Amino acid sequence: MQADPLTMTFAALADPTRRAILARLATGEATVTELAEPFEISGPAISRHLKVLAHAGLISRGRDAQWRPCRLEVDRLQGVDQWLQHYRQLWDGRFDQMDDYLRALQKGRTNDGPGN
Amino acid sequence: MTDPATDRHDARQRALTITRVFEAPRALVYQMWTEPHHMKRWWGPRGYTTLSAQVDMRLGGFWRVHSRKYDGTEVAEQGVFRQIVEAERLVFTHAWEEDDGSPGHETLVTVTFASDGDKTIMVFHQAEFLTIETRDGHLQGWGESFDMLKEYLGNA
Repeated sequence: MQADPLTMTFAALADPTRRAILARLATGEATVTELAEPFEISGPAISRHLKVLAHAGLISRGRDAQWRPCRLEVDRLQGVDQWLQHYRQLWDGRFDQMDDYLRALQKGRTNDGPGN
Repeated sequence: MTDPATDRHDARQRALTITRVFEAPRALVYQMWTEPHHMKRWWGPRGYTTLSAQVDMRLGGFWRVHSRKYDGTEVAEQGVFRQIVEAERLVFTHAWEEDDGSPGHETLVTVTFASDGDKTIMVFHQAEFLTIETRDGHLQGWGESFDMLKEYLGNA
């Protein structure tokens, strides 16, 4: 089963090395070698992290076969903000209902009775 | 009764915090989350009908709420309790069910309850942490990276 984009985004973000890579890319494009420099991990390990980030749509790789520089893809990160906005509206609506219900409950006049 | 001053959309930690003040005693507000017959009365926001609510109120216990949307489609949310402190604090996982009934992307919800005279201050927090075990690591690692990303994105 293909995970939804948001799950893949969050899974990709759930790793300090990958977040550091994104932070580095926020300052501009970089090659795999440049990205690997600050980390004490192997080239293949960096490549695996980049693969996860690319799969989640958080970065893209250039077409130049020699360098294939990585760059940050901003759209997917903005999807994270939309996710938060969606939940804010949902819970705000629920808590409005909770407020109404609590008032009614304490006045002892719920329209369709408890235990419904 | 939203209080904009205390409502916060914390983009830096990729988490949502909502603070609400209810004119009700703390024990009752807590029960809103723990008693299915209460949950059914507020969980579905307008446009939703709550079909069922089940709560196994113990550590690791399962909860599930099944609702029908105004357009007839049915949705369900589920999770397990990670921390239970009577009338003070609830921590549980939250996920929308996929079509096959399996839980989708999991988030962690923390709700705290504090008395303020006759009122109750409820603080709701939801974050994308996949497991409670990784929560602290996330909080430590999040800030710096996202400060840089925010600069890059050019918005606060």
